[in-house]
Amino acid sequence: MNDPAETVTGPGGDFNFLEEVIYARRSVRFYKKDQVPEYLVRRVLETGRYAPSAGNAQPWKFMVVRDKQMIDEMTQDVTDFCRRIMKFADYLVPGQEHKTWRAKLLMRLSNNSFHPTPFGAMKLISEGKLGVWHGAPTVIIIMVDKRAPGKPMIDAGIAGENMVLAAHSMGLGTCWVSFVTPLEFKPKWRKKLGIRYPYKLATSIALGIPKGSPDGFVPRETQAIDWWEDGAMKVVY
Amino acid sequence: MPEQIRRKDRGKIEDFLDIGNSAVLGAVEIDPEKCTGCAYCVKACAANALEIHDRKCRMVVELPLCISCGDCVAICPEGSISLTRFLKYLGFFRYIDRGATGPPRKF
Repeated sequence: MNDPAETVTGPGGDFNFLEEVIYARRSVRFYKKDQVPEYLVRRVLETGRYAPSAGNAQPWKFMVVRDKQMIDEMTQDVTDFCRRIMKFADYLVPGQEHKTWRAKLLMRLSNNSFHPTPFGAMKLISEGKLGVWHGAPTVIIIMVDKRAPGKPMIDAGIAGENMVLAAHSMGLGTCWVSFVTPLEFKPKWRKKLGIRYPYKLATSIALGIPKGSPDGFVPRETQAIDWWEDGAMKVVY
Repeated sequence: MPEQIRRKDRGKIEDFLDIGNSAVLGAVEIDPEKCTGCAYCVKACAANALEIHDRKCRMVVELPLCISCGDCVAICPEGSISLTRFLKYLGFFRYIDRGATGPPRKF
C-alpha cells in the first residue's frame, strides 16, 4: 500500500485520486447505446471479487446481462409489477381517496420498499416515464447466499460499491437499481436466473457508457456525527 | 409552489405527499441565459421533474417531485443549474440529524 505521505498532503490538502472518484460519482441515467467492452466489465467484476465480507464468506453471486432483449423483457415485467401495485394503491390520482389507506398500510408494513420516494418512482415506471435500467446496455445483478455469516446483504452492498467506484474510475457510468427484486415473484425469472435456495435477489447495477459528462461535484447535506473523545461527546458535521 | 405540503391541503393533487404527513420537495434554479435546451438534464432526472419549454429547461410546473440528487447539476454542460432546496420529509418519514449543505470539504 502507498505511504500516507505520498497520497495525503497535510491538513486542507487536495483530494487524492480515489477521493475524487468518490466525490464525483453520480448515478447515471442517460447511456449511449454502444455496448461496454467485455474486458472493462471483467475488470469491474474483479474489483467486486476483492471486496471484504464477513468471515471472508464472499456470499455474493454476480450475473451479467448484456442481452438487450432480455433487459427489455425484465423491464416489462417490473413495469407490470409496478402497474399492479399502482392499481391497488395509487394515492397520487385525485378522486381515488379510497386507495390512500391501502398505501398507508403498505408504507407502515414495509416502510423501506414503500417509502414515498420509491412509491413515486413506481408511479413513474408504471407510466413508462422512467426506464428501470435507463437504457443501460449491461446490467449486473447481485444475488446473496442466505446461509452466509453476518449480514450477507451488506456484504453484497460492499462488493457492489467496489464495482461502482471502479467503473467510474474507468469513465463508465453506473446506477444502483433495486427494482430488480420484483422479478423474484415471477416463476419465469426464478427459473431463468436461478433464484432458488440458498440464493436471494439483492440488487442490480446498470452499467454503460454515459452520454455527456455526468460525473461531478454537487452540494449535499451534512450529517450529524457524534464524536466521543476524552470522556466527552460533541456533535460535528 | 408551497414550501410545505400539509394535511390541510387535501383535495389538491399534492395529496399523495400527505402519506408521510408532509414533505419539502427539492428544487433547482435554471439560469435561462446559459441554458441551451440540450435536454441532457431532462434525461438524467430521476424524478421526471424537468422539462423543455420554449427551448429552455424548466421545472415541471404542476408538481416537480425533485429529490435533490444533483444529477442535473452535474450533467449540465453549461453549468446553468444550481440546487436551491433539498428534499426533506416531515412526519413519519422525516429526515433527522442533517446539517448544512455544501460541496465536498477539505480537512
